[in-house]
Amino acid sequence: MNRFILAAFVTLTPTLSLTASDWPQFRGPNATGVSNEENLPTEWSKTKGIAWKAELPGRGASSPVVVGNRVYVTCSSGTRDDRLHVLGFDATTGKQLWHRQLQGTGGTACHPKTCMAANTPVADETGVYALFATADLAAFDADGTLRWYRSLVGDYPTITNAVGMASSPILAAGRLIVPMDNAGESFLAALDTKYGKNVWKVDRPREISWTTPLVRTVGSTTELLFSGPKGLTNYDAATGETRWTFKGGGGSVPVGVLDGDSIYLPVGGVSKFKIDAKGVAEKPEWAARDAKSGYASPLVYAGKVFTTDGQGFISCVDAKTGKELYKERVKGAFSASPVAADGKVYCLNETGICTVLDAKADAFEVLASNELGEGSLGTPAIANGRIFIRTEKALYAVGR
Amino acid sequence: MQIRFCVAVVLGVALIATPAPAVDDATTQALLTLKRVTREGKGNEDAGPAWKTIVSKGGVALLPTLEAFEDGNPTAANWLRTAVDAIAEAEKAAGRKLPADKLEAFTTNPKFAAAARRSAYELLLTEDPSAKARLLPGFLNDKSPDLRRDAIANELEILERAARPSIKADLEKLFALARDKDQVELLAKKVNAAGGKASIAEHFGFVTFASLVGPFDAPESKGFTIPYPPDSAKDSSGKFMGKGAAELKWTPASTTDPLGKFDLNKLLGKHKNSAAYALTTLISEQEIPCEIRVTSPTSVKIFLNQKELFGRDEYHHGSPFDGNVGRGTLRKGENVLVVKVCQNNQTDSWAQDWRFQMRVCDDTGGPLAGVSQISTLDGKPVPLGFIPAQPANTEDKK
Repeated sequence: MNRFILAAFVTLTPTLSLTASDWPQFRGPNATGVSNEENLPTEWSKTKGIAWKAELPGRGASSPVVVGNRVYVTCSSGTRDDRLHVLGFDATTGKQLWHRQLQGTGGTACHPKTCMAANTPVADETGVYALFATADLAAFDADGTLRWYRSLVGDYPTITNAVGMASSPILAAGRLIVPMDNAGESFLAALDTKYGKNVWKVDRPREISWTTPLVRTVGSTTELLFSGPKGLTNYDAATGETRWTFKGGGGSVPVGVLDGDSIYLPVGGVSKFKIDAKGVAEKPEWAARDAKSGYASPLVYAGKVFTTDGQGFISCVDAKTGKELYKERVKGAFSASPVAADGKVYCLNETGICTVLDAKADAFEVLASNELGEGSLGTPAIANGRIFIRTEKALYAVGR
Repeated sequence: MQIRFCVAVVLGVALIATPAPAVDDATTQALLTLKRVTREGKGNEDAGPAWKTIVSKGGVALLPTLEAFEDGNPTAANWLRTAVDAIAEAEKAAGRKLPADKLEAFTTNPKFAAAARRSAYELLLTEDPSAKARLLPGFLNDKSPDLRRDAIANELEILERAARPSIKADLEKLFALARDKDQVELLAKKVNAAGGKASIAEHFGFVTFASLVGPFDAPESKGFTIPYPPDSAKDSSGKFMGKGAAELKWTPASTTDPLGKFDLNKLLGKHKNSAAYALTTLISEQEIPCEIRVTSPTSVKIFLNQKELFGRDEYHHGSPFDGNVGRGTLRKGENVLVVKVCQNNQTDSWAQDWRFQMRVCDDTGGPLAGVSQISTLDGKPVPLGFIPAQPANTEDKK
């Protein structure tokens, strides 16, 4: 009975007061990777089914984000990869509305696969907040006005991760949440969105990690679930106070998915745990060990859990039982997380090939395999009836 | 023809000499406000409105904004840089041209901040693409790393396109001016192929002679935070207690690696949870600002004349060239450079490297005139980057 009451209080709420079709942050609404958009494209190519294409001034492993009629993208460029770019586009026409550049103030060392534009920005109706792997952080209004800027390495000089950072900022409880797990001064902080000043800042283990916090509401409290190598920690978004830690939920690259009173964590393949106000159940309901994640985070959609990995495998398990429905290998490794909408799952690989699956099918039903011919690491965004894909060179709006 | 040329020159000089439109007080105040932003966003509440004020002034605020950049204030530079972007974007959207002449004068004036000059140069090219060929030769020895890089790449292309019988001297000149590692290595190869002799080690100013001491015990990978006596070493004398209570003393070492690498696994043996030190005596003919740049996959601290200049506590996340930079001043005469290099307890095969390279250079990464190192072979000064025929350490530890 108590569990039932607790479960009733554990309600997922949207992190932002945005329209349902927005894709405001890493993995979109509530970090699920799922959009309620309909009539989305199934087939496209470089020359077919593209609403518009915009050239980009640099690389990026970050995702595009979409709020209203704005698409925001970050890039980095230059011999030292220290030129940081934030761009705003008209989502309908693809017209570049503004382009601002920053000089990276932190180290630019990283694994050659990634770059300084690896963290996905977060947007709301007022504008966009862009964090880079150099620990430069800026807030721009929707028209490109610089609202505020922080050099986090200037503030906390020991910040360092020579593999390259990629955790993405999010918005929660009216604050900008900045994850900064690294080998130096490691922290999670909440900043006010108007001036970018710290509201709270809590220490984190000095370990490198690339995860992004999840947000949920329990009663009147907004919580941040942030995983790292030592476990999954729950913070009060208003104060930064630790509420509980789940040591079995550790991970440093892919991020879990919240789904009501369950959380799917990329541990032991992918595992489903019960979660309530007090924490995560010690033992998983099931663990699908062969559903590996690699860099990409799992997707929960249509009663199934989908994972993609660095070997090119797409795995699908039943969300209720964890039973494997299929595991198939396609061409190319995955870095981008799978996303879904309109009964389809979109799995974009590193070479720019997007395998579109029928989400309802219990078997591996490929609806299309679409090639853009350009490398792509960023998770696509789904909004306004289109799929926004950023490649090494360009931003594509796929759809009508 | 000559008269036309002279008239053009006079006009050009007159244009450059013409005073810029007076900057109004609001712009001046707003620029000062951006420059006053400090740590943790202090000043952001005033900087936001100031940024809007500057951008609202349009094209007349472009040059004053560029002039406000300071090399030593990266936070302000980013506020200013985005304002420059916004002003230029609005001017173009309004169909107005940017002041190419003023941008060119600004770009070529080395008194302005390197980052601002690069921004101005790029804006200039949007108005006048021909400026590239005209200006790049003047940037071969520029303090802006990007302008210098472009200038060197441009000059090399011109040289090779000209297909002259001998370009050895020109290549040597370019090699001396290059700073980026890839360009230095490329040019060294070309100089050597052309019959010249280019020493990458001397160019970069690698320390090739050092006294080493270690391993010190560093439990739980905490070598970075534990102070050991050599932190404040004044010379390579003294005995210390090391790992396993072993008595340690400084031992002379040198490297024959062309990039100045000291492999501590070979020189001191393979040790986990350890710290070691390298001490080098530098001789400077004058007091001079310097950078000590260290490359290592593990945690590093840099001390110059008993003063800690830099530290980075990170293990086995890559080994970026010049990844650790300490800024200090060499005094005239003897200077003691000490680098602490730690090793953690990771057992992964890719986490066993324990090594470092260190170099002494100016703030562009270029050689420092009048600075030498003391050889651990004979105690005499030799140039930085000098590679001995035989290493001072005759026995590698397994």
